[in-house]
Amino acid sequence: MADATTDTRTEPTTARRSPAARAALTRSVLLHVVMVLGALAMFFPFYWTLVASFSPGTGLSSTPRIVPDDPGLDAYVQLFSEVPFARVVANSVLLATVTTLVQLFTSATAAYAFSRLPFPGRTIVFGVYLATMMIPLQVLVVPLFAEFRAFGLVDTYLGALLPTFAAAFGIFLLRQAMNQVPVELDEAAAIDGAGHFRIFWTVVLPNIRPALATLAVFAFMGSWNSFLWPLVVLRSPELQTLPVALAGLQGQYTTEWDVVMAGSVISILPMLAIYLFAQKYVIQGVANTGLK
Amino acid sequence: MLVFLLPSAIPLALFVLGPMVAAAWISLTEWNLLAPATWVGLDNYAKLLTDPGTADVFLHTAMYIVGYLPLVYVGGLAIALALNTALRGRTLLRGVYFLPVITSWIVVALVWRWLLNPSNGVVNTVLGFFGIEGPGWWSDPAWAMPSIILASAWKDVGFVMVILLAGLQAIDPELVDAARVDGAGWWRRLFSVTLPLLSPATFFVVVISLINGFQVFDQVYAMTGGGPGGASQVVVQQIYDLTFRYGSAGEASALSWLLFLVILAVTVVQIRGQRRWVNYG
Amino acid sequence: MRTTAFAAVGIAAAAAIALSGCAAGDAADDGQVTITYTNFISNDGNEENLQAIVDAFEEENPDITVEVTTLPYADYGTALQTDLAAGTVADLFDIEYANYAQYQANGVLAELPVENTDAYRQSLLEAYQTDGTQFALPSSFSAVVLYYNADLFDAAGLEYPTSDWTWADEQAAAEQLTDAAAGVWGDHQPVSFYEFYKALAQNGGDFLSEDGTEVAFNTPEGIEAAQWLVGKSGTVMPTIEQGQGTPDFDTNLFKDGKLAMLHTGIWVFGAVADVPFGWDIAVEPGNAQQASAVFSNAVGVSSGSEHPEAAAKFAEFLTSSDVMVQVRLDSGWELPPISDEAALATYLEKDKPANRQAVFDSLDGIALPPVVAEGQQEMQDIMTEELVEAQSGRKTVEEALASAEERINAVIGR
Repeated sequence: MADATTDTRTEPTTARRSPAARAALTRSVLLHVVMVLGALAMFFPFYWTLVASFSPGTGLSSTPRIVPDDPGLDAYVQLFSEVPFARVVANSVLLATVTTLVQLFTSATAAYAFSRLPFPGRTIVFGVYLATMMIPLQVLVVPLFAEFRAFGLVDTYLGALLPTFAAAFGIFLLRQAMNQVPVELDEAAAIDGAGHFRIFWTVVLPNIRPALATLAVFAFMGSWNSFLWPLVVLRSPELQTLPVALAGLQGQYTTEWDVVMAGSVISILPMLAIYLFAQKYVIQGVANTGLK
Repeated sequence: MLVFLLPSAIPLALFVLGPMVAAAWISLTEWNLLAPATWVGLDNYAKLLTDPGTADVFLHTAMYIVGYLPLVYVGGLAIALALNTALRGRTLLRGVYFLPVITSWIVVALVWRWLLNPSNGVVNTVLGFFGIEGPGWWSDPAWAMPSIILASAWKDVGFVMVILLAGLQAIDPELVDAARVDGAGWWRRLFSVTLPLLSPATFFVVVISLINGFQVFDQVYAMTGGGPGGASQVVVQQIYDLTFRYGSAGEASALSWLLFLVILAVTVVQIRGQRRWVNYG
Repeated sequence: MRTTAFAAVGIAAAAAIALSGCAAGDAADDGQVTITYTNFISNDGNEENLQAIVDAFEEENPDITVEVTTLPYADYGTALQTDLAAGTVADLFDIEYANYAQYQANGVLAELPVENTDAYRQSLLEAYQTDGTQFALPSSFSAVVLYYNADLFDAAGLEYPTSDWTWADEQAAAEQLTDAAAGVWGDHQPVSFYEFYKALAQNGGDFLSEDGTEVAFNTPEGIEAAQWLVGKSGTVMPTIEQGQGTPDFDTNLFKDGKLAMLHTGIWVFGAVADVPFGWDIAVEPGNAQQASAVFSNAVGVSSGSEHPEAAAKFAEFLTSSDVMVQVRLDSGWELPPISDEAALATYLEKDKPANRQAVFDSLDGIALPPVVAEGQQEMQDIMTEELVEAQSGRKTVEEALASAEERINAVIGR
């Protein structure tokens, strides 16, 4: 995969600028200006969230300020003292971590089956797997809720986790990656007496690390940001996740918008850190899904 | 084989396919999740199909898609085209445009609820500088859905941009250059060469956006709650309300199935229709 | 991605399962009991008043601890319904009069033995009985009245509202008091189910048919009543585009001195007490007759509660103790549901607002919310939705009522 940033074409450099070259330069400058302004506009809401979180006494209908008049950490203090917010953050971390690890496991094993193990009806089974992508969790809320209630899983971490344990998207992504790994590598290992488990573990997995990293980031992000199911299944305040707690804050703190924005900042930060760390995999992962 | 398949097959069967079948059964009952369910046959479907409220929630969902899709597509395409030229700081710019994608819908909704606040909101304040009186945004029935669309487009434009950018980079530059030599202007090259060659990426964006668009919920819940006066009530919010506000789980399940059938039909039509316009050259 | 990562799967999953066990952890050693109470009645300004009652209860009953969760009214109905369905409902929870029958019918309320029935106002107590058995206890009652900014009336040279006012008087005053240039509005009345059923009663109409299986509001009286609410918008009241209908919009406008008349409940006495202008209240104007909305909230014990005795004890304390009466009267929160007229009399002597007699006068002509066997919440939401459609000009009042009639009948007529 070519990195999206490597483009071999360079700007035309002419010693004496012809009118055409000057027009091209003007266009280029203009394009830079427009793109930077656009980026600023895209970034502005984040900046605004940050400013609001440091501006005590900000209400939903307060007059906006570009720079906080009297910056302070009051909102953060209030957030962690009045709401069990540390617990909420811990819940989100726990759920996202477990979801990510389990999804890596279930996706990798299934992808291996679809990529390396010829079995009767494989195409049909893979088709059924892919079809589940069309069934959003949203339409399953009622039966899932009833099912989990019957098994005593409502208001437990496990209840929030189970429906995220297998995702067709991850299986699809890893299967594509595994199909790129030459079968000759498997065969060489097989000659050395390796069975499927060894081949899976020592040959295939090490060769699809970028795809695993991409899936890890997506699974983490999916869990971190998921809303409807945690909203429904996690009833106790001390089990709530960040998005649900944030939605609740807005109802309770209509006049203390700085607190709501402080909560938003805290929910963005970990994802931002992961994103900065794994930006290449994230963007490459998105790019790849569109190419197939 | 089974050993490799079971870890994913069991959760998919228990938490997707099984519930799907269960939803079909629940949709034939009247059930408030408290008292035992009673069998009502197809009553729930009959009620949904005759209730003008059902048409409304599908209409609002369609409005969302119709407003959202062109906005993210044209926006994403413009950014991708610009980033596909010799631009300084492309990686940084791309990173910034992508940033909203990693943010949760709830945060996006809360931030935009504030930016679009009718009194003193940033957007209306800025509009005020130019002598324009901003609309009531999410507090106005006519503007509630546009507000949600605007916030959603802001969040997703980076996602579309990345997919289209990858598509653009897969296009052989010689084809575009050949058109340039033939004297084709920028717009002509865009419509006659670039867009046809970009059609697989476009197809993917359209399919994904439609599936996601029919499921729109988080941002509606946090921005308007379906209001004011139900003006932005969408299908999934209605499923949620029917189940957990009105205690009509049977009707909610029937609506779930209707939604699933609509998604299925739209997706099948698109896959059938792709041969007419998607160019896999 | 190494072996350790996959080993971590098992560990993390096991940890999650172990942690999930802590969810419902209330250890009941040494006879100490913890009961939970989920409420909306104290939200928005009365949290400390409720806590004062809880503190007094815990002092009297050292073996019982009460854990209070307060939710905004807008989220409460959904949260309660979900918790009931999930089996995670608190030991005690608030219910509104309009929803009582439905919850009772679904068996989610435990029988509630009362030690001292005489302490309660009998009509309120009976409202929460089914076949002679008590299933909830009234925690308060309140009325909706007409608040007015006396300074604005003085400036306009108008007489203050009285209990004899009719819609026409209110309309005339509202028009004179509205000063668009100064951002001052004459009147505010929410465009909602609750205001509509009451306006309908004031106009001599009925919301439901006699047997309660279909609506009866799509009549000339109903159209006139809806017109009365909807027509204020944009003439004497801010429009929905201007933010009307958003949370706290009306009380904030009143507190800012930019609203001359406000229709709202007596529960905002505390919130507007310190405004820097003169204000008072009057009985709401009627049209064909006077009719005031009277609300009564109640508290019920969950039929799944593990500590029904302790919960019942707290329920009775919360609804009839002297501490509660004192706290409610002192703070001007909603009225205590008690029979002791002498105690209530002290309520009248307090200032701000001066005309507290209007609260009791309101009770002479009351309009109770229409109650249906199933679909109460959906009925209320549909009515509000359709009225807002008319308010925003997307439908005519006639179209909105016709549509509301069709949709509500489909919900309640099963």
